Amino acid sequence: MSIKYQSQKIAEYFYTFAVVLFLVQVVVGIIAALQFIWPSFFILNFNTIRTLHINALVVWLLTGLMGATYYVVPEESETELWSLPLAKLQFWATVVAITAVVLGYIWMGLNPQANSPIMGITPLNEGREYIEAPRWADVLIVISVLLFLFINFMTMLKTKKWTGIQGTLIGGLTVLALMYLPGMFYTKSMVKDQFWWWWVVHLWVEGAWEVIAGALLAFMLMKVVGARREVVEKWMYIEVGFVMFTGILGTGHHYYWIGTPGYWLWVGGIFSSLEPLPLLFMVWDAFRTTREARNVENRAGLYYTVAHAIFNFVGAGLWGVIHTLPQINKWTHGTQITTAHGHLAFYGAYVLLVLAMIYITLPAIRGVKAFNASRAFQSFWWMTISMVFIVLTITGAGMVQVYMERLMGLDYVAVKANYNMWFWILRAIFGVGFLIGVGIFVIDFFRLGKEPAPAVTAAPERL
Amino acid sequence: MSNKAARNLFILGSLFFFAIFLGLTYDTMGKLDKRAPEITEQVNAGKMVWHKYDCIGCHTILGNGSYFAPDLTKATERKPKGYLKRFLMDPKSANPNASMPKLGIRDEEADDLIAFLDWNSKVDTNGWPPKPILAAAGGVAGKELTEGQKLYQSLGCAACHLIDGIGGTTGPELTTVGARRDRAWLIGHFKNPEEYVKNSAMPKVEAPEADIEKLADYMITLK
Repeated sequence: MSIKYQSQKIAEYFYTFAVVLFLVQVVVGIIAALQFIWPSFFILNFNTIRTLHINALVVWLLTGLMGATYYVVPEESETELWSLPLAKLQFWATVVAITAVVLGYIWMGLNPQANSPIMGITPLNEGREYIEAPRWADVLIVISVLLFLFINFMTMLKTKKWTGIQGTLIGGLTVLALMYLPGMFYTKSMVKDQFWWWWVVHLWVEGAWEVIAGALLAFMLMKVVGARREVVEKWMYIEVGFVMFTGILGTGHHYYWIGTPGYWLWVGGIFSSLEPLPLLFMVWDAFRTTREARNVENRAGLYYTVAHAIFNFVGAGLWGVIHTLPQINKWTHGTQITTAHGHLAFYGAYVLLVLAMIYITLPAIRGVKAFNASRAFQSFWWMTISMVFIVLTITGAGMVQVYMERLMGLDYVAVKANYNMWFWILRAIFGVGFLIGVGIFVIDFFRLGKEPAPAVTAAPERL
Repeated sequence: MSNKAARNLFILGSLFFFAIFLGLTYDTMGKLDKRAPEITEQVNAGKMVWHKYDCIGCHTILGNGSYFAPDLTKATERKPKGYLKRFLMDPKSANPNASMPKLGIRDEEADDLIAFLDWNSKVDTNGWPPKPILAAAGGVAGKELTEGQKLYQSLGCAACHLIDGIGGTTGPELTTVGARRDRAWLIGHFKNPEEYVKNSAMPKVEAPEADIEKLADYMITLK
């Protein structure tokens, strides 16, 4: 395994930043889990910790996807990147901007008055979930993403190959950039605030990001099992097509109870019920394509790719569809059921996707012929088993909350602090298990290809 | 199906559904203002306070947010405004068990924030959050409620107080209050809580003398 174009090496810069932020995300996640048990644990309050937890997640996945794109586009276009120095500039500018935003969050966490509005704009934290980044950072983020898209587009223009994979990938990334804009203006009405906020959040994770995932899945299937381009691209179009057909109007499942008209109950209920279907196609696609594969060199890459397809369906699909009908969502909306869905969906759909891309492209970037995949498997099982149990404990907490608070009318705090305490304790324990998995992965990331090659390239299969 | 046909289906189909989505968005935007009260300067100032302190980092509103602390959509319906103001400025002075930290919310900011929360409680949310089934059922297992029990419900005492595990946790538990207090103390306390409990966050019970007596009669049965 080796790269054909030197500029593909830029991907490793982005991966490294992503991996570091992944570790940060999980460490602050454990602090947050402990704050469910002891609310005053740690010098920063829960709101700051949670902001760091979800922002680190979004940013590391985005930088991971950027790195993957810088790898895929030269390969698909069969040429060097249009400008490597500009790509490096984009990388360092992103790192500086993100670091500044994080320092701002911590400063505000220590001194809330530091976030007092200046000319009607809060300077450190916008106080809007997921898009807490202040307005000046929004502008920098948009510039960075535009620069990133521009470099990739110019690269594609050099050879004009227009393959389906890179076209879909860049298409998804362009929608991603456009859908950031509805979160960048102030509205006096909290209803309109949340209406446009869902354009960003929903049309990212259940629209643009799934399109990107579809394109990368096709690329990975070609890479690890040598699947034929015509076949994977056709299925890719069908999958991402259904993602958009169901996902766009599926946004309606966020417009049931926020002050929006009643017809959204019908639109959201019908279309979001269909959202798991394209994710099921992807699972079927992954199995069908890989079942016949023999002599797979990169077994870790194959493993993560198939696992991504499965947990995308389970986390984003199944765990979403169980509470998507208005009749059920009326009782579960705003409870821990949503938290459970969020965790498994992000893990399956995007964490495993970026890790799979890393395991498929990093050996080539480092020019490694064969690598010992044992750490890759260890970290996979530590992370996956822990995440499944984290999600089961939060789902249990959510069911207790729905029953006791929503149906019986008990107080929120009584349910959280008494009846759900065991779930919080178990969740924190499994969180440590997840951290162990991440730790193994981080070690593997930094050491892959830098150790002596294993004496036997592949251990004989025992069946 | 050829690859080109699949690609065109993807692109044109996505544009088709996005066009429908845009149409619905346009229609919704025209209807939103009629489904909510007017936004005054104070409500808007309160929204800025909401963002400034990153309230959504712990709470949910209209069901969206962080699930770490109670949903605030109906906060002003559930708790007296005087209590809320005191709680916002110094949570532990209003409820010693509160886990919310003192954020430094100023007097004026608290008023604005309460106006903002009050606006949210009046938005037409298609019936969300639903009334809990048990609380809505009123009498339990066919047993007729006493006058005092009915008053306890209609005055909203359960929003803050707990009896046999049902109710709020911001005020003291009342499951055995009858063993601790006598009738005269209870009646006097209902009329003016601060006279009996120093720094009490409880509002005065605004009800006719006869109702206050019936409520006290119910309280002393709790032993």
